[in-house]
Amino acid sequence: MPDSYLVHVAGAMRSYYKDFSKYAKGRAPSQKVAWVTSFAPVEILDALDIEYVYPESYAAVIAASGLEQPLLEESSRQFLSCDCCSYSCCFEGCISTGKGPRGVPPVPDVLIATNNQCNTLPAWWSILAKRYNVPLIVLDYPGEFTDADIARPYVEKQHKEFVKKMEELSGNKLDENELAKRIGNSINSVAAWKRVCACLKEREVPPTLLFDDINFLITARCKEETAIIYNLMADEMETYPECNKSLTPLFWIGYPLWYHKDRYLTEVMEGFRVCGSNYITWWNLDYEGDSVWDKLFGAYNNTFLNLSQKTKTERLSALIAASGAKCAVTCRNKSCKCDYVSAKNVGIPQAELEVDMIDREYLDVERAASLMKILKETVS
Amino acid sequence: MKILSMSGFVPEQIIDTVRFTGYEGSERLSHYCGYAADFISQVKEDASIDGAVFPKSCDSSRSIGSYLDETGKFIYSMPVPAIRDEGSVAYFADILRDYKAKLEKHFNISISDDEIKARDMVISERNAKIAASYGKLSDLSYSSYIREVHASLNAPYSFDESRIEAGKDGKPVYLVGSFLAGIELSDCIEKAGMKVTGDDLPESGRIAVQSESADSSEDIYLKIASDILSRRPSPTQDLFEELIKNDVAEIEEKGCRGVIFATQKYCEPYDYLFSVYKKVLDEKGIPVLQVQLSDSTDAGAHAFALEAFADII
Repeated sequence: MPDSYLVHVAGAMRSYYKDFSKYAKGRAPSQKVAWVTSFAPVEILDALDIEYVYPESYAAVIAASGLEQPLLEESSRQFLSCDCCSYSCCFEGCISTGKGPRGVPPVPDVLIATNNQCNTLPAWWSILAKRYNVPLIVLDYPGEFTDADIARPYVEKQHKEFVKKMEELSGNKLDENELAKRIGNSINSVAAWKRVCACLKEREVPPTLLFDDINFLITARCKEETAIIYNLMADEMETYPECNKSLTPLFWIGYPLWYHKDRYLTEVMEGFRVCGSNYITWWNLDYEGDSVWDKLFGAYNNTFLNLSQKTKTERLSALIAASGAKCAVTCRNKSCKCDYVSAKNVGIPQAELEVDMIDREYLDVERAASLMKILKETVS
Repeated sequence: MKILSMSGFVPEQIIDTVRFTGYEGSERLSHYCGYAADFISQVKEDASIDGAVFPKSCDSSRSIGSYLDETGKFIYSMPVPAIRDEGSVAYFADILRDYKAKLEKHFNISISDDEIKARDMVISERNAKIAASYGKLSDLSYSSYIREVHASLNAPYSFDESRIEAGKDGKPVYLVGSFLAGIELSDCIEKAGMKVTGDDLPESGRIAVQSESADSSEDIYLKIASDILSRRPSPTQDLFEELIKNDVAEIEEKGCRGVIFATQKYCEPYDYLFSVYKKVLDEKGIPVLQVQLSDSTDAGAHAFALEAFADII
């Protein structure tokens, strides 16, 4: 019997959630715990045997479980403005009430925030630092806004200092070979995930599966298991029937709607099929370079949202062209100013929807339906 | 040439810039800071503006370039270090050199280090005068003071305390917030019977209460970088603990009876800061009023809230 990726998925999930309160039942974690933002250089943490948890991802899980509304209200009572990123509002509600589908994450020993995605995350991490009274480490990635010859030594110095601090925290010494191995795992994970993504264009693959299963590339990209999962997934998906080519191919620009059972607006998309998404490519990090430090710089300095508008437009346009999409849904996400302008000049008709990725009450579904109708008329 | 600048992180020493104070623009971007949107509008619509320089320090400011990249004007997004150590000063000095080089290339000009040093002396003198007046805020009209500060943010950077009116008595309060674009807010505060005796504004308190620059080198870029980074922290630098500690110490030292927290709508660094700032003030029994300004020209609709707050304190 062929090895099913679902067996590996179950194992990876058990491993990730083992210290959340629902499963730990009072047992303390055996490792030091870091709370990290989703583009943190976790290869370093993994090589030092530090456990890492992703609050953003957990907010998505909370919304997917339908539990976000009372938690959003709770964060408002904690004086956190509802204008702030709803990942943060939802998560603040969770840790304030202790309520979440898998309980609450293990208490952090350190908080690690990066600004290669947005500047909101370090601000959110600052309020977490105040709550838990633990060290906050901000890793500053200048991105494409700064010449690489200025940015590279600046980032490398931070990475090396970060290693020292994490060695002190964990009591372990970094073995560069172990770090190289984690980076190698990440490279393999990205390659395998690209195989999965390629299936969306040609096969009868539900986009929901990709929106959900990118989770491993985010939370476990440097684990050996992740490439195994994705290669098995791709093997299976490559046998799926061809997609229905009579439907209009549509590109989904922006975040999935985590609260939605399908993660995208199936109810207003009759006649369309999703053939591509930029969100599912955001963690296709490019670990270019010779040394481990160069590779980490390449991967984490040049994340999609840390690129110039020109490069973002070029990359997005290339993705859309490769997908064969004739039109796009562009999610104007209330919670993400940085992604708000990603879809400039992409060259195909777009329905621009005002959404939030967590707060289900934000979207005007009737208006969305009307915009999709106009889009359909435009491309037919 | 006329280069519009935003934020105290943008050095005034490299080239003369015009500090953005406010503009009634047509750019209205949902969920986007109105102050930043008005900045974008002015750069796009005002033909006399040749360029724009702004920090990459919050989500609105880091996105400004995306809206301006097709204007053909000089556009510079300045990556302000998110950390504060010796390495970040050296890095920021490199950024300043890069900024100068890009200016020279775009405008086909040459900027000498002597020019920068001369401008630095003028700026340092102005900052010292702002600091001196800041120390006398209990005797001055804050409204008159902050107008003089704003006037001094553009060349020739002259700040003259003799132009500041004397203040009337009022309940002492502390003002926190981003750049006070809606300067009329300061009039409303005084009209409501309050007196601002201290602030944590980028153009005022953060300049006035600057710690001594750590860098004494002859390298002008290192000096400027060090000067800017040794100011009291902005919420965009994610040092909430230090920021709140500094503010609370000044609030208590000056016997302020309340805090007015004035921010732009959709300004996430201040929104996050407020959630912890308020809790600290609540624990100390210091009342706080949050005033949210919708854009760079909004200031007038808060009189009633300010009067009520004055009654409470």
